Amino acid sequence: MNSTISSYDFHVRGEIPTLMAGSLVVACSRRHKDHGVFSRWHDSQADLVRIDLSPGKPGRMTATVLSVDPQGVGLRLPDAMGARMLETPNAETPFYETQPNHGINVEGGHVWATNLLFGAPLEVEIRTWQPTRVLRFLNRNEQSPQTSSTSHFAWSLDRRYAYFHQSLLETEGLKEPVKARDLSLVRLDTRTGAEKLWGITPPPTDANLETANFHSAFYFELGGTQCVGLLRTGALLESLAPHNPLRNYAEHTVLPMPRSTIWIIKLDETKQTLQAELLPGMEEFNGMALSHLDVDARGGDGFVLFANYKQADVAEETHGKNLYDEKPEDVCDHYSGMIVEPINYGSVMRYDCRGNKRSLSVFSRGYDPGQTSEGHTWLPINLCLDSAKQRVFGTFSGFRPRLLSRHIAQAYPGKVVDERRIRYVPPLLMRFDANTLEPDTDKKRRHLSYAEPIAMTVVGENGRDYVCTFSPEVGVRIYEADNLSAVVCHGVCHELWSWEDSHFRPDPAHMEFVPG
Amino acid sequence: MRVNRLSVEGPEFVKLVREVEKKVQKLEANKWNFRTVPETFAAPDQAADVVAKELVHIFDGQTVTRIGRLIMGGVGKHFNLMGPIRSDARLNVTSSHIIDEVNHQLGSEGLLDLPQYRSLNRQPQKVEFFNYGIFYTLRDLVFWLLLHDTGCFPSTLEHMTRKFAEGYVVQNDMYTPARPSNDIKAPALMAGSCLMMQFPSKVMEWMDKPLFGGLARETIHVETLLTIKPARISHPHLPLTAESKVEIGHQAYYLRRFAGVSPKDALRGPDVTGESAAD
Repeated sequence: MNSTISSYDFHVRGEIPTLMAGSLVVACSRRHKDHGVFSRWHDSQADLVRIDLSPGKPGRMTATVLSVDPQGVGLRLPDAMGARMLETPNAETPFYETQPNHGINVEGGHVWATNLLFGAPLEVEIRTWQPTRVLRFLNRNEQSPQTSSTSHFAWSLDRRYAYFHQSLLETEGLKEPVKARDLSLVRLDTRTGAEKLWGITPPPTDANLETANFHSAFYFELGGTQCVGLLRTGALLESLAPHNPLRNYAEHTVLPMPRSTIWIIKLDETKQTLQAELLPGMEEFNGMALSHLDVDARGGDGFVLFANYKQADVAEETHGKNLYDEKPEDVCDHYSGMIVEPINYGSVMRYDCRGNKRSLSVFSRGYDPGQTSEGHTWLPINLCLDSAKQRVFGTFSGFRPRLLSRHIAQAYPGKVVDERRIRYVPPLLMRFDANTLEPDTDKKRRHLSYAEPIAMTVVGENGRDYVCTFSPEVGVRIYEADNLSAVVCHGVCHELWSWEDSHFRPDPAHMEFVPG
Repeated sequence: MRVNRLSVEGPEFVKLVREVEKKVQKLEANKWNFRTVPETFAAPDQAADVVAKELVHIFDGQTVTRIGRLIMGGVGKHFNLMGPIRSDARLNVTSSHIIDEVNHQLGSEGLLDLPQYRSLNRQPQKVEFFNYGIFYTLRDLVFWLLLHDTGCFPSTLEHMTRKFAEGYVVQNDMYTPARPSNDIKAPALMAGSCLMMQFPSKVMEWMDKPLFGGLARETIHVETLLTIKPARISHPHLPLTAESKVEIGHQAYYLRRFAGVSPKDALRGPDVTGESAAD
């Protein structure tokens, strides 16, 4: 398919704050409504939505939707690849150039949208909402037909340079899972478009290429050295292609993910290949699927990193019997391309590395229905600091017990939640104190909001902040950051709620604000 | 939800109101954490849900008008039907004329067209809604739930809390079947009067996905959208099953019908009871 664009109005209630003049950019997954079909969530049709906000009461919201062509036909590859045009593949293939239904990276009039794991970032010009390039820097071939790229880029302190990882993925062997190769770090100059590529040598004690994938990156300077940190998520793929509905919709052996780590890479312009080291002090923590982050690297002397562990096997595809031994056809809440439910509650970490100081704190909490004001950490998704870096906002997707596949749960004995006691856990937006990583509790419960969409961004300046959430079904909600118990604006758009014969599932994970 | 205390008369009622008021104050002071007032939890064996619904939505680009006939299922003697509505919505009991007329012109039997509904194999009892009310705050809502010993599940209340935050109110009414059931395997099936709700919106807004109440994991729907201009609007969960034109009261409408089964939200595993104070 070719990329297509269409626009729709929202019905807006309340007032769009002046500070929010600009656009919200969201990467959505789209699927058909057939409950009987299972598909890998990474491979959903990607639609990039730009929601333009005109402040006022009533303000105006308009959505422009770009339906992405996964093969990027007619788009350019980077200069390092000869700036050649992508063409229609010669034969049908389960692999794609770009399927950017997950992460959003924004700077200088462009968006780079990414998949959770597969493919290369798609560059889109914000003004025209037209795709311009596919940022693939490595040559795919028959043995390595897919790439993997970092979903959430690292940014230099002045936001001029973006950094992300990219590698090729080798097809699995008979007894070997998918493996990464040609691990690379890409630097993109967002002002000039110049690119630089380094090879990465893994840390000697964390060199397993089967799990060398990196969901998020961050940049910091320490003692005058420029560094990039990569969250090694550790997704372990038994097969590179999505499951074949005729052969392997059945349950299969799942190889468990290892604990996640963080690689630190010191940048050196003179070298072709950079040696990664492990961020020390995290050896004792056994969290899985380290994925999203926000970082306070102001001042150029270290960083405070906030990151979350999902405790979900993010490489897997949901199908087969569930945790309760129910057949898929009896589980009506199934939808095509479902996210993988977590095996247990996750956690949020705060790693403080400033000057000579090093400290790690972790917040981890199950859901207690009798104490809902305490929040939970079931399937953490977003983390976002406010403008003063004093508060951090997190969204948590919750838990839908009937959607956890039995064959995935069986790979994690001793770690999986007790299915006889666990129930539905509602999604949550919660505010934390950025200095302590404790919930920023409030007697009037203004620090949290349940049943909230998980795509979230914080928009603010000079200590005045707004928190904004979005899902196609619920629409856009805007809160004052001090008070998550009162919506200041709500906009809904039926074309996004239900898209012709398909719909947006799962709910988008991330959203970014672009000032107007 | 099952209502355990339909009413109390005279001085006992005054006493009850005072007691409930104290509990609500305590809950509010404790950030609405049920642990502080455990009797706020609904009985974990609650079993009451909307089993099926037949709706006609009329959307003219300015206003959404929704006319609906609900089929409820429940174990117990008395129930309440509660749901968030827009604060500028108008809600009233109405006749089933439009639903019947649409079905007549389509040659449809409404819910009976669906095998899932036919497989219920029972004619629902007619019930009347009574004691209509509107809750404007979480406090009003929890007060009512405690007064009538209905209780609720914390996760469900959180969904309601979010609706209040967004500018909704919660409408509530009660109903009582003539032939109640105490058997979860054969719950009473009840058909309420038609309800009509109207609110201004320049986009079509569908109903939220209902939350599981312990009985029916799925909702059987027939939903018909009538528009004055041709529309490509589709339903978030249901497939399109018919497209046509109908005329109602000298007004021609374009019709799109969506029918099937959709899951409720907040589902839990089999044999797992609702949230309770004993957790």
